[in-house]
Amino acid sequence: MAAALVFTLPPFFDSLAIWVPSLFLLSLGLKFWMEPRGYRLRSIVLKLILVATAITAALITYGSASNIEAGISLLVILMSLKILEAHTAREFRVMVLIGWVLCLCGLFLSQDFTTALCLLFAFALLTVALVQFHRGAAPGAVWPPVRTTCNLLLQALPLVVLFFLVFPRINAGLRLELRPFRSTNIGFSDKLSPGKITALANSSDIAFRAEFPGSGTRPLGPMYWRGVVMWRCDGIEWRAPYEPRPKPMSNTPDVAASRGLSVQSSNAREIQQRITLAPHGARWMFALDRPIKSVRGAMLARGDYLWSIPPIRKSRQYDVVSSEISDKELTAKERADSLEVPASISPAVRDLAYSWTSQNPDPRSVISNALRFFRTQGFSYSLTPGGYEDLDEFLFHRRVGFCEHYAASFATLMRLAGIPARVVVGYLGGEYNELGHFILVRQADAHAWCEVWLPENGWTRVDPTSAVAPGRASLDLTSFLETNIASGQMGVRRNAWIAGLLRSGVVTNVRFVWQTLSYEWDTRLLAFDADVQDVFLASMGIGSSGPLFLIVEILLVAIALLAIYFAWMQRRTRSRLDRVKALYEYFCQKIARLGVRRDPCEGPLDFARRAAQSLPNESSRIRQIADAYILLRYAPQTAPGMLDRFTKEVNAFGKRARY
Amino acid sequence: MKAAKFPLAYPTAGFGALLFVLGAMWYAASSQNSAAIYLLLFMLVSVFLVSIPHTLINLASVKLTVESAKPTFAGDEVCLPVEIMNNSRATRYGIEVVLPEADKTRERVDYIPRESAARLTLRFPARHRGEHKIAKLDLTSCYPLGFMRASKRIASNQTYIVYPKPAGSSQLPTNHSSRFVDSRAEQDIGSGDDFAGVRDYVPGESQRHIDWKAVARGQPLMMKEFAAETKGAVRLDFFELRFTDTEEKLSQLTLWVIEAERVRRPYGLRLPGLEISPAVGQMHFHRCLRALSLFRQKEHDAK
Repeated sequence: MAAALVFTLPPFFDSLAIWVPSLFLLSLGLKFWMEPRGYRLRSIVLKLILVATAITAALITYGSASNIEAGISLLVILMSLKILEAHTAREFRVMVLIGWVLCLCGLFLSQDFTTALCLLFAFALLTVALVQFHRGAAPGAVWPPVRTTCNLLLQALPLVVLFFLVFPRINAGLRLELRPFRSTNIGFSDKLSPGKITALANSSDIAFRAEFPGSGTRPLGPMYWRGVVMWRCDGIEWRAPYEPRPKPMSNTPDVAASRGLSVQSSNAREIQQRITLAPHGARWMFALDRPIKSVRGAMLARGDYLWSIPPIRKSRQYDVVSSEISDKELTAKERADSLEVPASISPAVRDLAYSWTSQNPDPRSVISNALRFFRTQGFSYSLTPGGYEDLDEFLFHRRVGFCEHYAASFATLMRLAGIPARVVVGYLGGEYNELGHFILVRQADAHAWCEVWLPENGWTRVDPTSAVAPGRASLDLTSFLETNIASGQMGVRRNAWIAGLLRSGVVTNVRFVWQTLSYEWDTRLLAFDADVQDVFLASMGIGSSGPLFLIVEILLVAIALLAIYFAWMQRRTRSRLDRVKALYEYFCQKIARLGVRRDPCEGPLDFARRAAQSLPNESSRIRQIADAYILLRYAPQTAPGMLDRFTKEVNAFGKRARY
Repeated sequence: MKAAKFPLAYPTAGFGALLFVLGAMWYAASSQNSAAIYLLLFMLVSVFLVSIPHTLINLASVKLTVESAKPTFAGDEVCLPVEIMNNSRATRYGIEVVLPEADKTRERVDYIPRESAARLTLRFPARHRGEHKIAKLDLTSCYPLGFMRASKRIASNQTYIVYPKPAGSSQLPTNHSSRFVDSRAEQDIGSGDDFAGVRDYVPGESQRHIDWKAVARGQPLMMKEFAAETKGAVRLDFFELRFTDTEEKLSQLTLWVIEAERVRRPYGLRLPGLEISPAVGQMHFHRCLRALSLFRQKEHDAK
């Protein structure tokens, strides 16, 4: 039981105040200490004081009782106290039920694969505990109840599948609007300020996974996953528009028309992706550089990026098509927007930009000058660059930065040089899972880069980070760790070991399998919500018949299945010893039909004698059967074929008698 | 012993709580439109559903035999031994025998291994004197999950007897004169040869009848009593009692029967419509008590 409860915990440690699950563990331990010593929590006053303290503590921690974390915390706290108090059989049952509710709460907090496995295990253990409880003092404390539970779960499996697929998800308009219970620090914010992406760089949380249903393989070359475009420049800080405006749709035909003209687009192809986004609470949606069509529930914002209309609070899957070509038109408004520079930029920075333009006003040469500047002037790449006050400090003094610094400063310099520029934030790369054929992109892959407007090419991607850290564009997590080691940012030895481990074949394979399972869980199971179910039912041709009809059908199937289980178990456990007796009784029935009824107190020998007398034609057979019966019943050992012969004789008896 | 062919399943109190939890899960799932929560909900529902045949099968091939209960006095406990036979090839768990007529007295056996039997004793208070029939017993079990209780009703013809509650004065009546004393009884008193038992020695008594052999065995001084030395047979007469209430009379008579049997003094019983001649011994004792317990006032009033 305790083990079961412990397994419901992991999701709570993630998202609740640390003392809540700790209290839970503490009271569990305390209970184990108390129980053998016969201590019990008896005083009602003490109980009330404990409850009041705990609730007050929860209210202080969370501020209010109305958000879901506080609610779950309260439940966990009360459960902890209940553990301390529980003693009777009824309370035990209540605790198992609360354990199931805790599973539910765990799912509220997190639905990823690991949590789900944990909770599944907890669920099974709770069932084991319940079974064990009802077995009382029966011998075998561990394995028999586990076996029974496995039996139950296995038999329940078809029902679960049936219910899950077909049971109508009635939504009676009870939508419960939960407050965003996760702070939206997952992913990045609408502001690109130093340190924002760095905070993500060490997180191995999954951002999203992408499949390529069209081609089946991943595209070659670096994969820039476009997240959001930042227009507003603040020097080293950039901002995304708070409420992005949709991109005017009249541009789309131009894209198609311009395909033949552009040099770049001649080898550009459209890439179809299916992306499964982990919930992050904000509205970013990602696609390969750059999406050309909007998807359902989202819009294609100005700057060619996807912007979800509702915040993404649960896992979401969408199909998107990307192409590398860009628009060939820049509206005056956009041009103005992408040249705007704050007045606070220092003269030194302005001079730097002007020095490039005066050299050669061609945007291409300005860009290469700028990249050369980054490459040659001793800039270095670091995950922990520290904070910067302004652009000067970065460009002229410390010169240590992360991708965001390079992107922000590069774009600012471009604007100063009169080239329309913007910053794009998203992810770069990802880990390709060869087993599941998908790409897994982690938060650590977060990246920022620039786009500049070149009249002949349109918006063109420039990644200043690659000038500083040339390998970055093709990095995945494993090599990423190595980069860290190479740059001496982390404890070298430990990470070398981790990197070695991550690279070894077995671990990689296990990791791939795990990721694939996890991916399947997210895409197949979690995505199967009411809407998907409707489509599924319609495709099965049973969608139209209405929910009530479906429920009745399901119940019928379920009852039939239960009946089958019952019959099967009945067959399996029915006594074998009784077979001889049953046959003999059958024989007695047959003979009774011929007119000789056995008296309940009559032994087989006496009966056979009497029956033989009244049925002289059958006397030998009756004697044979009686003798065989007596042998089978009472002889210490019987010949191996005896029972079969007996069966045959009994079965044959009536038939021959009829002739 | 006739048993219902199939056990029936009833929801238990725990089922209500389960429904509540399921309701909460359903609400959560439908309001969040969350597949994972639906999955949890359906898992719980399915496990519950699957547990029903398990509960039912737990009673299959389980037979109950009620054995005869010893008579007791009203106010005491009746001990009813039962035997539960598990004829199946699987161990059966958590089987309870319930006696619905006697305040749902229940007794539980945690497990019965395959093809063996368990014995239980149902204990319940004996309230009223008389012969009682155990018409039905329930064989129930809520293994494995406890949300459903399978129950099999078993009909029985077993009876048990409750003697009247002994009450009143323990002083035996001194009425061995009246018409009840017949010639045989007189003879008995005169004969004086029959050994009738032993009693405590009272200082000052004749030493002739001290049980010396018992003293040699280390026991206290006991007097051997002979039939001739008893005060004669006592007649316990229903009609001579001055209580108005029949039950009170029966209680007094019961106490006297016990008392007389204890001191091994022959006693006879006279009830309306029944007369038992004086004797001592277990057979006689139970015969008298049985007569007292089965006594019905109304029939005799009607006569």
